[in-house]
Amino acid sequence: MKKLFLSAALILLSITSNSQNKLATTSGHIKFFSTTPVEDIEANNYKITSNLIPATGVIVFSVPMQSFEFPKAKMQKHYNSKNFLNTKKFPKAKFKGTITNLSEIDFRNDGTYTANVIGTLTLHGVTNNISETLKLIVKEGTISGMTEFNITLADYGVVFEKGKPSTNIGKNVKITAHLNYKQ
Amino acid sequence: MKSKIIKLIGAIILMGIGYATYIWFMPHRNVQAVTAFETISATDLVHAFVTNKEKANATYLDSDEGESKVLIVTGEVAKISKDQLGQHVVLLKNKTDKMGVSCSFTTETNDQVSNIKIGDTISIKGVIRSGAEYDADLDLIENVIVEKSAMLKK
Repeated sequence: MKKLFLSAALILLSITSNSQNKLATTSGHIKFFSTTPVEDIEANNYKITSNLIPATGVIVFSVPMQSFEFPKAKMQKHYNSKNFLNTKKFPKAKFKGTITNLSEIDFRNDGTYTANVIGTLTLHGVTNNISETLKLIVKEGTISGMTEFNITLADYGVVFEKGKPSTNIGKNVKITAHLNYKQ
Repeated sequence: MKSKIIKLIGAIILMGIGYATYIWFMPHRNVQAVTAFETISATDLVHAFVTNKEKANATYLDSDEGESKVLIVTGEVAKISKDQLGQHVVLLKNKTDKMGVSCSFTTETNDQVSNIKIGDTISIKGVIRSGAEYDADLDLIENVIVEKSAMLKK
């Protein structure tokens, strides 16, 4: 009986420990910005789901693609269409990666840290390796992350030669993400 | 004859300018003015994506312009939070379910959330953006995303 209680206590401790180790958010902000001589286009999405596991440095983002809001309705329709991001067939973009300099980041003490992250980004059904930096700010028990990088749409099979998107949307877009993690 | 042709060309140009202006300033869809595709419980909606993701995507998401289905979702309020835009987010999830339906309100409807509390069973109308998914390897819980939400009047 004593052994049974001990086992139960250990299992409970393990579950508690795992849940405490995971940092998560379901309301991260991601923005993409494209510029061409015709116009600048910016779209915002406040629905990123992300997990960060400090013990292993594993980090994952999932972006619901239809949650990008454009200033103009027509832009939003172009973006979602089969000729562009085809968000019905590919409703989510996903990044899975690992922090490679984990020893340089202290998740328990206030500070600003630069995490080097390598992983894979799947967008429009195409997966590519990427290597970027993530600024992590630890402040009074809260952890926030910020990153900014560029992607080339053609690398993800997004090519458009005819119609407005070809002249109004840049071939490269800047991605900015801001995440406020909670335990 | 010549003046008629000039008038005709002028009319065509004006119509072209008018159409271009309409396209440029075309407003976003008013989700709350759209008739709901169906009324469904949060549990059933999550279940539809978990059991057959492709079929659920085909049923609920729009392929042409991203104007996916407007739904009325009923469920128990499990969490009330705010996103970085200041929009209230209400998670409808029954206690026994792993995932739920995350409903984001708007500037116009944010105040409606002050009348609800954890444990209430409510109905929310909004547009679906993506389905539920669970990645066991990464322990990543992805709820169904519903936006442009408003409380359905009882």
